[in-house]
Formats: sequence, structure tokens, C-alpha cells
Amino acid sequence: MAAIQNSLLAALPRKSYLRLLPGLAPVELAFGEVLYEPGQSIQHVYFPTQSLVSLLTLVEGHLALEVGLVGWEGMVGFPLALGVDVSPVRALVQGGGAALRMSAARFRVELRRCPPLQRELYRYVNTMMAQISQTAGCNRFHVVEPRLARWLLMTRDRVRSGEFRMTHEFLSHMLGVRRVGVTEAASALHERKLIDYSRGAIRILDHRGLEKAACACYERVKEMHEAKRPN
Amino acid sequence: MGAMSARRSPKQNRLLAALPATDLLRLLPHLERVLLPLGAVIYESGGEQAHVYFPASGIVSLLYVMKDGAAAEIAVVGNEGVVGIALFMGGQTTPSRAVVQSAGSAWRVEPAAIKAEFARGGALQRLLLRYTQALITQMTQTAVCNRHHLLEQQLCRWLLLSLDRLPSNQLVMTQQLIANMLGVRREGVTEAAGRLQADGLIDYSRGRINVLDRGRLEKRACECYAVVRLESDRLLERGATLSA
Repeated sequence: MAAIQNSLLAALPRKSYLRLLPGLAPVELAFGEVLYEPGQSIQHVYFPTQSLVSLLTLVEGHLALEVGLVGWEGMVGFPLALGVDVSPVRALVQGGGAALRMSAARFRVELRRCPPLQRELYRYVNTMMAQISQTAGCNRFHVVEPRLARWLLMTRDRVRSGEFRMTHEFLSHMLGVRRVGVTEAASALHERKLIDYSRGAIRILDHRGLEKAACACYERVKEMHEAKRPN
Repeated sequence: MGAMSARRSPKQNRLLAALPATDLLRLLPHLERVLLPLGAVIYESGGEQAHVYFPASGIVSLLYVMKDGAAAEIAVVGNEGVVGIALFMGGQTTPSRAVVQSAGSAWRVEPAAIKAEFARGGALQRLLLRYTQALITQMTQTAVCNRHHLLEQQLCRWLLLSLDRLPSNQLVMTQQLIANMLGVRREGVTEAAGRLQADGLIDYSRGRINVLDRGRLEKRACECYAVVRLESDRLLERGATLSA
């Protein structure tokens, strides 16, 4: 059997994973695809394997801010695990690629009969809360450049690649700042030879340097994600 | 039930009140009533959490603490909620500090007891999970609000969220403390509070804020307040029917 490419699923006992498997359909998520809109009921959950999904909040109907980023370490649709079937956010595919999808109905059944899945998801929700608090705090105190650096590193960790597509307009929604602010910050990182940027493609050239340019928030949430699972 | 025992009932906390009688009875021997004095730190950022707290009165503020020590409030918890979610969600630590913002009391439970009850998968688990989603909504909205809204709107949101968790229209709170909560400079809070006072929405003197016109305060707040309030009411209402 091929290696399990989503770390939530990979952390399950083999028996539990095998029982979930028939309900997991491999799908290709397209860049820019919207998986949920705020207020809509959640039809499927997604375990990204090679894709990246951004959780965005809207203010007065306009894209306002990214509050979470889900890649191979997580699951899109975690409100279902909390007993809530409506998404409070827009889930937008940020990095196109493969994911495993399960219907909401099936997920509810599997969750009920699989305590290891519950354990993994509750633990994951706890790290998402850390990510959201960090976004709230970081936005309050840090300027655009270290936040952009943090965001690029978080993206890299979740797509496991130093190259991804991204427009300035998109980044401005992610970070909740005006486009010109993003352009300035990206140019500054480019001049320091930390990233290369052309035609909507970003390449990280020096990730150690980028880590130094990022605010400390990046390390903190990363440590939480990597914390050993309690026995 | 006498007035005294009613005042000291675990049912002062809305999550505990929503539990079916048998579930509450099972939890009862593990509930210990404690006072929450103003300024007390319930848990520290990155530290172990020794108990979960179900506030009966008062307000606990959750603050995100930066490496350099600066902090900003990410959520407030009153008698509608619980403090110490990481304990039953299986996280070891959180990057937030929980501090008592308005004195009151709480029912606290030891980790082993809350974990055991949570693991039963019954009404308490359902309520705690739903509350977790409501708290996530509040944190999300705070993140957005910090980024997009004027300090005056944020102050209105903050006053309303606090007021919802207090028995009267009065808050005991210095401007410096509000500034610390919102993660802004005190001068900004002074200006915004001054405008609200001049317009007759609040009365502010010597560390006491009286809300005079709640309706207009709601109109001056950004949408964030209503989003948090509605979501919280909806989740708790449904949680209550589910557990019945």
C-alpha cells in the first residue's frame, strides 16, 4: 500500500484507516475552486494530500482575511467534527492538487465509531485554534513584511514545496492589507534574495533567511503542529 | 431551593445548565466552586492547564501573547462557556493566557474527571464541542475586526461582548486595561470612549463604565458583534435541544 499522504489519516491505527478507506474518494481540487461558502451546509470533508485550502472570512460580503490554511496536515470541514454542519468561512483552493474526499453523512458515521479519528481531529482543531489566535494577534502587532514571510513559510510547509502560484491581489486578501502593501513587502523580500517572484509564481530561494524575516508567530504555531502526540 | 443555593448552583453556567440531570449528577462530585478575583491568571501561555473552569459569573479574557510579551485579546468567556478547552481537545498547551477581566466565580473540574466525561461521548461532549465552534467563531471575528475595523467600532464590540456576560450595565475597567485587551495605545481608547460619552452612549468615570444606550452602542459597533452573538446563541440553543 502506498504511503498515506495526509498526516491526520496517517496517524490513525491501520485498522481504523482501512475502515475509512472505502469512503474516501480521490479528487483533484482546482486552483481557485470554492469548497464552501460561509453559511452553507458542509457536503463533504477533504483531506488534502497534494493541495492547499485557505479558510477565509468575509466582511460585508467582501473577502477580508485568511484565518486558516489547511494542507496535508489537516482536514477541511472540521466544524462537522464539532457537531456543526454549516461552514462559517469560505474554503478556497489555494494550491490545486489531490485530496481525499468523504461525504458529510459518511463522515458523521465514521467519526462516531472511530475514537482514534475523533482524537486526531480534536487535537487538530486545537492547533487550528492556535493558528486563528495567532492570526488575530499577529495582525494586531506585526507589519506586512514579516507576516508575508510567515504566510509563505506556512504555505511551503503545507504544500511541501518552495514553489507555488499566487497573485498579489490574492495575497492582499490573505493578509488583509491593500495590494500596494503586499507589492512593497514582496519586493523587499525579493531584493533580499529570499524569494523570486514572477507572473503569479513564487519561489522560495532561501527558507532559512525567510524564517529570520518572519515574525516569531510562525515558529510558535509550527511547534504546536509538530508537538508529539500524547500517549 | 433557597436563594443562597440558587446563587451557588452549577446551573449558573449555561453549559452545565444544559446538561441532562443524570449527566450533571455524575459530574457534580467533581465540581469545585472557586472565586475568580480580578486579574488572576487562570493559565499561562505555553503552560500546562491544571483545571477547566465553567464560569458562573465574571469574565475571563483569552489573550494571545507574543514572544516579546505584548498581548491582545482573542476572546472573552463568561457563564456561556468554559475555559481550558485544550485539556479535553487533547492539546498540551495553547499560545494564549487566560486572565480574569471581571471578578466572579467558577466551577472547576480536574483534568481526569473532565476527560472521562468527555470520552463518554454524551451530552457534555456535544455541548463542549459546539461551544468550541462558537469560540472559534469569536476568535475568527476578532482577527478580522483587528485588521479591518476602526478602534471605536472595536471598543463598541468589546463593550457589548463584556456586557452580555455581566449582570448589570456597569463595567469596572480602566482605559489602560481596555487598551491592553485590544492591543492598542491607551490614547486611542481615551479618544474613542470620549466620543461615545459625548454622544450619550456611555458614562465613564473613575474606572467605571455605565452603558446608557445599548441600542445605539450596537449600531456603532461593527458587524463582528452580531456575528459572534448570533453564532453563539444558535450553537448553544441547538446544543441544548440536542442534549435534552
